Amino acid sequence: MWRALRAELLYFLPWLLGGLGIAAFVVVLLSGLVRFLEDGEGPPSFVITIFPIIAGMVVAFIAQSYRVEERRARLLMAGPLTPRQLAGVTVLLPVCFASLGVLAAVPMVGLATLITGKFEPSTLPIVAGFAGQFWAYAQLGPLAQESSAARRQQRSTAAMTGWAVFVGAILVLTASQFLMNSIYGLLWVAMVAVAAMGVAAALYQRRTDFTR
Amino acid sequence: MNDQKRETTPAAHLSGLTKQFPGFKLGPLDLVLEPGTVVALVGPNGAGKTTTLNCMAGLMVPDEGGTEVYGAQVHSSRTEYRRDVGYVGEEGGFFQRWTVSRNLAFLAELLPGWSRDRAQQLSERIALPMDKPVGKLSRGNKTKLALVAAMAHRPRLLLLDEPTSGLDPVVRAEVLDLLWEIIEDGEHAVLYSTHVLSDINRLADELVFLRDGQIVLRTGRDELSERWRRVSFRLSDDDLKLAGIVEHRRVRAEHQVITRDSEETLRQLTELGAEAVEVSRMSVDEIAVQILKEGHHVARTEG
Repeated sequence: MWRALRAELLYFLPWLLGGLGIAAFVVVLLSGLVRFLEDGEGPPSFVITIFPIIAGMVVAFIAQSYRVEERRARLLMAGPLTPRQLAGVTVLLPVCFASLGVLAAVPMVGLATLITGKFEPSTLPIVAGFAGQFWAYAQLGPLAQESSAARRQQRSTAAMTGWAVFVGAILVLTASQFLMNSIYGLLWVAMVAVAAMGVAAALYQRRTDFTR
Repeated sequence: MNDQKRETTPAAHLSGLTKQFPGFKLGPLDLVLEPGTVVALVGPNGAGKTTTLNCMAGLMVPDEGGTEVYGAQVHSSRTEYRRDVGYVGEEGGFFQRWTVSRNLAFLAELLPGWSRDRAQQLSERIALPMDKPVGKLSRGNKTKLALVAAMAHRPRLLLLDEPTSGLDPVVRAEVLDLLWEIIEDGEHAVLYSTHVLSDINRLADELVFLRDGQIVLRTGRDELSERWRRVSFRLSDDDLKLAGIVEHRRVRAEHQVITRDSEETLRQLTELGAEAVEVSRMSVDEIAVQILKEGHHVARTEG
């Protein structure tokens, strides 16, 4: 499974690098502008970190939707991979890109700190809140795909369960906006993301058609 | 499983395979494919050919029944059978922006039994552009790549879903030549789906005709071309009751019939005193059209 996941990550890596390149450009531009035009007042750290995180998330969304039929066929015929392992690849792809976006945010904050001379560790919960929300929404992609597939394959109970979890997840994520800067808010968001991953993986394993 | 047992075990055994979609039901299909045989699965679009092959490859889970490949049950959560299966389907399943060689390297990493030598040999044989991204390959080259990818791990069963569909005559001939070379060692069992019977006619040992999700006929290739004939004759009797007739036309005083049992038809015509009897051979495609058109008149197994 890890080899397949690695191959999928490598395939989408140029997209991620392109996105991070744009994010770095925006970070430098924004930091420089604020530094030189507003007397040393730099943008808050959370604004800087959002760009690479968004880049990771955009690639996560692309990876979920780009030629998914082809990926299923490729992975299923490419070796001794079981549907459970394939489900693992499918739900781990967004997590991996999200994590890479978060990792890339660290040097960019360093870069912005160098330019603006300002560092705000107190904004970390806000950054975590944004990253968590993006991650949870990215995990809803595979859940929606698998719920639709279950409906097409006339697995009514599975489809209803999938869509119920999807709607529940949206409600919880909306409600968690009010707890954005607290640890409870983060926990709720993390629970939604993990639940979406689990249900999407379970639905994937029970597919009766891996071609569509 | 030891080699001796593998030889006696069918390459593929479909038993009661059933798959239902809204408005379409495949099967129940029962079919045995012996090792070393080439079977053409012939049918019009929507007959259930792709569904059959997808179920055999483990890409679809049948509603009932199942498939065994060399004795191993085809099941999406068990992977033993995949070693023996090479599949060329509608979805190539390649990384479009990666080159041919990088795609083959990816498969080499994952597929047990993959032979880099064989992959290279086959690629050179058909002049695959190894450094070109798959997304920029012509349709013919994509088909060739799919064949290399399906065969480099030396599977014993090849499932080919209309591999020459949409190819120009030159590339089609190249692909068929390659297939011919691959299967002439007699070690591969092949199930080749097509709606153009002339493509597979020289390769196939047997023909299985599928219509509306059901097998309407399974027959040997030679038996088919030996028995089906177009016969014209003169006979005053309008109400003809001849054995094996699948189509009958009357043009003025002449009767024109298509028979699936020419020997019996000619014997009866002699008895009836038919005059000006002329017999002509039919192409396999003409026969296929008749079978698929008149499938309900044809026995399930002929010969």
